[in-house]
Amino acid sequence: MATKLAATDKPRKSKLYKKESRAAMLFILSPLVGYLIFVLYPFFFSIYASFTNWNGLGTMNFVGLSNYTKLLTDDYFMKSLFNTFFMMLGIPIGLLLSLLLAMGLNRKIPGTTAFRVIYYIPVVSSLAAISVLWQWAYNGDYGLVNQFLDLIGIDGPNWLQNKDTVKPALIIMTVWKGLGYSMLLYLAALQSVPKMYYESADLDGANKFKKFIHITWPMVKPVTFFLVITNIINGAQMFTEINIMTPTGGPEFSSATVVFYIWRKAFDNLQMGYASAMSVVLGAIIFIVTLIQFKLNDRSSFEID
Amino acid sequence: MKNSLRVLMMLLVSAALLLSACAGGSSSEGSDDSGDGTKKLTFMFRGGTEEEKAYQKAIDAFEEQNPGVEVEMIVTAADQYATKLKAAITGNQVPDVFYIAPGELRSYAHSNILLDLTEYVESNDKINLDNIWQYGVDSYRFDGETQGQGSIYAMPKDVGPFSLGYNKTMFEEAGLELPDKDEPMTWDEFIEVNQVLTKDTDGDGEIDQYGTGFNINWVLQSFVWSNGGRFIDDTQTKVTVDTPEFAEALQWFADHQLKYEITPSIEDAQTLDTYQRWMQGQLAFFPVAPWDLATFDTELDFEYDVIPYPAGQTGESATWVGTLGIAVAQSTSHPDLATELVYYLTASEEGQQALVDARIQIPNLKDMAADWAADDSSMPANKEEYLQIVEDYGRALPANNTYNAEWYDYFFTNVQPVLDGDKTAAEYVKEVQPKMQEYLDNAIELENQSK
Repeated sequence: MATKLAATDKPRKSKLYKKESRAAMLFILSPLVGYLIFVLYPFFFSIYASFTNWNGLGTMNFVGLSNYTKLLTDDYFMKSLFNTFFMMLGIPIGLLLSLLLAMGLNRKIPGTTAFRVIYYIPVVSSLAAISVLWQWAYNGDYGLVNQFLDLIGIDGPNWLQNKDTVKPALIIMTVWKGLGYSMLLYLAALQSVPKMYYESADLDGANKFKKFIHITWPMVKPVTFFLVITNIINGAQMFTEINIMTPTGGPEFSSATVVFYIWRKAFDNLQMGYASAMSVVLGAIIFIVTLIQFKLNDRSSFEID
Repeated sequence: MKNSLRVLMMLLVSAALLLSACAGGSSSEGSDDSGDGTKKLTFMFRGGTEEEKAYQKAIDAFEEQNPGVEVEMIVTAADQYATKLKAAITGNQVPDVFYIAPGELRSYAHSNILLDLTEYVESNDKINLDNIWQYGVDSYRFDGETQGQGSIYAMPKDVGPFSLGYNKTMFEEAGLELPDKDEPMTWDEFIEVNQVLTKDTDGDGEIDQYGTGFNINWVLQSFVWSNGGRFIDDTQTKVTVDTPEFAEALQWFADHQLKYEITPSIEDAQTLDTYQRWMQGQLAFFPVAPWDLATFDTELDFEYDVIPYPAGQTGESATWVGTLGIAVAQSTSHPDLATELVYYLTASEEGQQALVDARIQIPNLKDMAADWAADDSSMPANKEEYLQIVEDYGRALPANNTYNAEWYDYFFTNVQPVLDGDKTAAEYVKEVQPKMQEYLDNAIELENQSK
């Protein structure tokens, strides 16, 4: 940003220019300082902490790689990694549903605005509030979910207390919560698809399915890409829902995510160093996964001017 | 171009300097005194509005007696307390006075965060240690090796005897003899009366009244101990869940549901429902602790009382006593005032009265507790049981005296198959002991490293 400012006004440097550039620097300073203090510093600090036996209270002693070697044999860590990625199954489901919804709401039928608002409400609600709400909805005896299932003659499980249903229950909730946001982005993408493509496809006699596959889907692909990336990054850091809905990590640790486990180790069990090592590994995994996605996207992307 | 780069570099360097200044911090922060001579203390705790109101009263009295002192209360939600306190410690902003759980005492003491209160407590004429529950004070004694002896690092905020309540109205309606308030029932007697009370009261073919519905996390200890089992040995170094006594108690707990069918539907033990059901008068037995009393005063439309838990093989009832402590930070700028505040909150009559009036705890002072127990204007009538638990037969929760609670948590996190009947208790305790021992060994090693 700074270089850009300098480059445009290179020929003459008036006093005004200097003054303004100083002011600009001040504006840049605030996010920069914020970034240094709240991102870069904790980032390097946690890498350092991951090589120590710090308990979060006292002194930090260097222990080399021992935190990392311990991670390899930690059943709970493996389990929480598995849980975290398992719950990402909600991402494709959510994207598919939101694309369908967006296509539905993109037509000229009455009431679309109302529906858009309804689907967007969960997005603007606090995650903590939603978690409490769903905790009640999933209650084995009085919960809305089971009462509904009861109407159609199904005896629902005690969702959050059963190790086989707790993850699907959480997936359903996160899909519901994220639907509005993805839908809105898809809607914007759909509306920016030039009508002429569909017209020429019509002239060529393409059916609806063909039009979807060959026009709609490629045209919204950048949005899909963006959503997949951000959803995976967010999904890998899932914590609040777990902490509120299953405060002990679920029966047999079946709903504990990596971040939940990190938090427990760091703040309940006095192993800040070990927890830092887990965060570093998680960060590396997210980084690698995102990198792979960018590479894949590069290979299959195309541009229309 | 070059210039702007240089400016950018400068900014980066100055930001980095600023940053290191922040990180370095000064230890007096958090108790900064304002210019006009007022001394400021910070008190960090967790709890609901009831506690906050009661503490406000005690603190008002404290401020009145100590002119020029201002106490700032920092309240957090229960599940955020540990996180926020640790963040404050890491940032060198330790509050002057704060809550501490007995399970945290070892680590905090090793890390030199807590001020040793022994001298103050012993030299203060207003504090009579003989009049305060010994269990409460001993929970915060630590000599560097063993908890329960040595220096006092905190004073008990409260002691929380976890007693068993029963629905008196339900017993009377069923025409049953009321349980004895001193002589514990045997396990068989307990099951028998529960089976009688588990029934369909409105004749619609569905059971709507149950014997009980305990939460394993809080009640298993009682059954295990009264059956002669232990979670951990006296040296606090060996996990002892793999004994027949322990397995029998666990199986008995699971059988409440699996075999005797005296509890609501399967997998229900961990939901809020049994608590709700008790409040709605659907359960005959349910734990009743002092912190429940305020709620039960207004929410229950039946009469209840408390009794000892049913006794296993040993013939003795057993249960645990919870506690939280209030400690002073070593880094405080006003150690005398801070300790005085601790006295106000934990051992002064004014402070205790405010808390007792709020009906959230039993008095820390024995003489006050005796008056409290003798008062029969409010339920439960047998308040004496609470005092007996604290003084005679209550025990500390198993993980209170270990460096962390991972070994203990592991047991409860993975116990569901036993409750579902997919595994026997005997199998489970055999299987889980080595893993728990591993966690405990790890905790011991971590503690040694932190010394």
